[in-house]
Amino acid sequence: MREIEMRRMLESFDNKRADPYPLKEFESVGKRGVRRQDGYDKASGAAKYTIDVQLPGMLYGRFLTSPFPHAEIVSMDTSRAEKYPGVRAILRHDDPELPEGASLGGHEPNYVAPLPRVAHFQGEEVGAFVVADREEIAEEALKLIKVEWKQRPFVLDPQEALRPDAPVSRPEENPGGNLDVRGVFVESHGDVEKGFAEADKIIEFKFTMGQNTWVGPERPCGVWWWNGDKAEVWVKQQRPHIAKRAISTWFGGIPMNKIHMHCLYQGASFGGWTQTAWNLGGMYCAAVMARRTGRPVKWVFSRREDFYGGEMDTGIFYVKVGAKLDGTITAVEERGVVVNQNLPVFGIAKHFIENTRVPHVRGRTENVWVNKGPNVPTRCEQNINCYSVNLVTNRVAAELGLDPSEVALKNDGAEGHDIEWLNKRKAELGFPVRDSLRECIEKGKAAIEWDKKWHPPGTRRLPNGKMHGLGFTWTHEWDDSGGTGEVAIYIERNDGTATILGCRADGGQNAETTYCQIAADELGFKVEDVRFKHQEDAGFYTMTPDTSTNLSVNGWAVRHAARLLKAKILEAAVAPRGVTQLGSYPPAFPGKRPEELDIKDGVIFEKANPSNRMTVAEFVGPSGAAGPLASLVGEPILAQSEGLAHPERFTPPMFEYAWQVQRGTYLGVRLRFCRQAHFMEVEVDTETGQVDVVKVVTVNDVGKVINWDGCEGQAYGGAIMGIGRGCMEEVVHDPRTGIMLNGNLLNYKIPTILDYGSIESLMVETGMGYGPYGTVGIGEDVATVLPALIGPAIHNAIGVWVEGFPATPDKVLRALGKI
Amino acid sequence: MSDAPSTEAAGTVVELQINGERHAVMIQPQWTLQYVLSEVLGLTGTKEFCGQGACGACTVIMEGRPILSCMTLAVECEGKSIETIEGIAKANHPLIESYVKHSCMQCGFCTPGFVVTAKALLDRNPDPTEQEIREALGGNLCRCGTYPAHVKAVKEAALMLREGASRA
Repeated sequence: MREIEMRRMLESFDNKRADPYPLKEFESVGKRGVRRQDGYDKASGAAKYTIDVQLPGMLYGRFLTSPFPHAEIVSMDTSRAEKYPGVRAILRHDDPELPEGASLGGHEPNYVAPLPRVAHFQGEEVGAFVVADREEIAEEALKLIKVEWKQRPFVLDPQEALRPDAPVSRPEENPGGNLDVRGVFVESHGDVEKGFAEADKIIEFKFTMGQNTWVGPERPCGVWWWNGDKAEVWVKQQRPHIAKRAISTWFGGIPMNKIHMHCLYQGASFGGWTQTAWNLGGMYCAAVMARRTGRPVKWVFSRREDFYGGEMDTGIFYVKVGAKLDGTITAVEERGVVVNQNLPVFGIAKHFIENTRVPHVRGRTENVWVNKGPNVPTRCEQNINCYSVNLVTNRVAAELGLDPSEVALKNDGAEGHDIEWLNKRKAELGFPVRDSLRECIEKGKAAIEWDKKWHPPGTRRLPNGKMHGLGFTWTHEWDDSGGTGEVAIYIERNDGTATILGCRADGGQNAETTYCQIAADELGFKVEDVRFKHQEDAGFYTMTPDTSTNLSVNGWAVRHAARLLKAKILEAAVAPRGVTQLGSYPPAFPGKRPEELDIKDGVIFEKANPSNRMTVAEFVGPSGAAGPLASLVGEPILAQSEGLAHPERFTPPMFEYAWQVQRGTYLGVRLRFCRQAHFMEVEVDTETGQVDVVKVVTVNDVGKVINWDGCEGQAYGGAIMGIGRGCMEEVVHDPRTGIMLNGNLLNYKIPTILDYGSIESLMVETGMGYGPYGTVGIGEDVATVLPALIGPAIHNAIGVWVEGFPATPDKVLRALGKI
Repeated sequence: MSDAPSTEAAGTVVELQINGERHAVMIQPQWTLQYVLSEVLGLTGTKEFCGQGACGACTVIMEGRPILSCMTLAVECEGKSIETIEGIAKANHPLIESYVKHSCMQCGFCTPGFVVTAKALLDRNPDPTEQEIREALGGNLCRCGTYPAHVKAVKEAALMLREGASRA
């Protein structure tokens, strides 16, 4: 094994220590103004998404959906629909070719029916899949399908669902009742009773989260084409690696090397749709119909159909906290009743265990099934943890008359230990020892002018008559979950540019540019000479934004590959090159050793004599017939006739690959050192209940900024999504009929450019992350932490707590006792 | 099934001036302008997001005014002059470069609608204030929350346009 390969192995398997090999100097990493790789495509309208795909003869498929929240199909007559002009075929649930179940994606592998007969929520795709010349024709034909439904009793409210006499919402999956017997998650450390006994003050409160959803701008869709005996597919899929694996199990097995996957730009779903158990159901039905019709089939959802899935923080949460008078928290006990979570059910108190010195913590999550759509991780599964750290910190501060940031600092730590203990672990693992939370708080307080603006709750009325409020929250980072990232880098012949290969979904975080920056700096290339070709299935699959993982896994793999490739280039530059019948080729740098050379801006040069240089383009030479075996003057035989002993240039392909395997996922894997703190300023109209978010300051310790646009974009973008979740977004169902009432963008409000005041997104760079160069991710953080911050900000304004989120005007007026 | 005779209306031809080029397109009366641009003519930069006039992703400029092409029947557009994102990009409008520079896109699905709306704003107001930019873009939804970057990009493009005009 080469030394560098050994180093790669050691790096790959040591995820618990600081980055041991930082670059001495950066060219593009951490620099502002690096041009986005996807920028022109997206600004100019040239970017292609799966929904834009058109193939010759392509048909369009749409699903029948259930009009009832719980119903089964007794009989179905599709004859009129089949005769409708332009309809080419209809797939029915009772089609003999459809299996009882297939692997159709999801957070965990699932085995579900591609086209069910029974609907467990209004709007569920069941019964029939109509394929027609155009989407509108399929939609019209769906209206002609006559279905005899047997309606079943339904339940929508989780508290009602837990009553012994409640209708069973999913009798097929969970026949015993609505409490999911597989969906109870308990976590604890210490002894909460002891902790409560030690407390000076016991605080108990409840909060609720309404169902919000992802609203992916591109509707769920996909295209299936049987290209000869190969399956060529276009997926709107955040996890193409899982999609391909699932597809390979269909129809008795499709060899992986006969599946050609395209993963174009993605009109985001933030985890969301990709995490639902049936998200490949459309692909399955399209595959069946593509074979039957001999034509490519694109399946699509309507805009409304995209609204049926929700974020997994929907539920009711009960919190009990014990604290000393100085703000030291002695115990936290939480119970969450969550709704329709696809397995696995997540903990709700793990941030207290991972992230604080609170010695006694107990959390219990109970999943309840009701007759609504699935709730899944949507940027991301840590919401309730963040909400509860936020609300506990602020409730304790309010009860004891303390500054909430002081309560945070007093309780910062890890796994029941204080910050001093955590600092020792930082040093042991090779990290700088810095107080991340304190740095975040100081930076954020200065930006929002906390010391000038902070006041006791309900005490500051503004000249415009509204009440002024200021809120603060905090937690740790968590972008280190796990997974495997594989990439390869190839130096193109002719011009020496570099291509990163690795199929991944682009969700818009500017990740591709970030990986190009890492590769460029490690290779010694200009960043504009590196491209991540991520939309094609080249045999390498990276973690996309899935399992809360992106840069922290793939960044290592890109860096390893770039380092190996640079070493290979330099070794090849001093080695005799290929041998042919006419003899061997001399080295590009005769008599030198690799360590005497370096690469900068795509030029290989001798460090002691920089004028001895060769561009990488010259080094790798041209391709094809005029390629490696050619001389500057033509074919080898011609070269000899012209007095040259051998052609001038030859290099083997310059290609390397690397991977990162990360065993992660939650408690006990490794300590987290980086923190985040966020601040919100609001104005509350006590007459109307309207809350205006006038300023947000986000502060994230990202360890090390690689791409500024990416970090700041995720922070301010997350803040705006957080404002939406916290203030206005809620899917509403009619309790009488179970029908969703606002499955559209007119009635489900997401924030516009006019719905916030100003947002300042600040970064702290302590280098205490486990990713390359000490990074941690930021993509999920702000959107996840921010929503419940509206609660403390409103409390500071009006002196009373709103119980539920989103904190819509009616809830504010209720808190004020006005309605 | 595929042998069923088509009873669909034969359709009608409309003539559209798109990005300065004449197109005669056979359409059905129920087709929206967005559908014709994207699905029939392959101008896929004009996106459908909400499909009901709530998000601005399908914005095009018709006869100098920004309109929602998902709410406009193509049959109503006979003889009309229509400018799409592709035309704005082809003309190297400074908004394109300023949008790239300020990283105004994340998933990018809504971005063309913002650029078209901003272009229509700058056509009628060469020096908009932040509030004017916000009000102009107030009907464009971005789920990724890229809004703060747009204000910077539109201001910069406006400056570039004014400087270009003063040089000319």
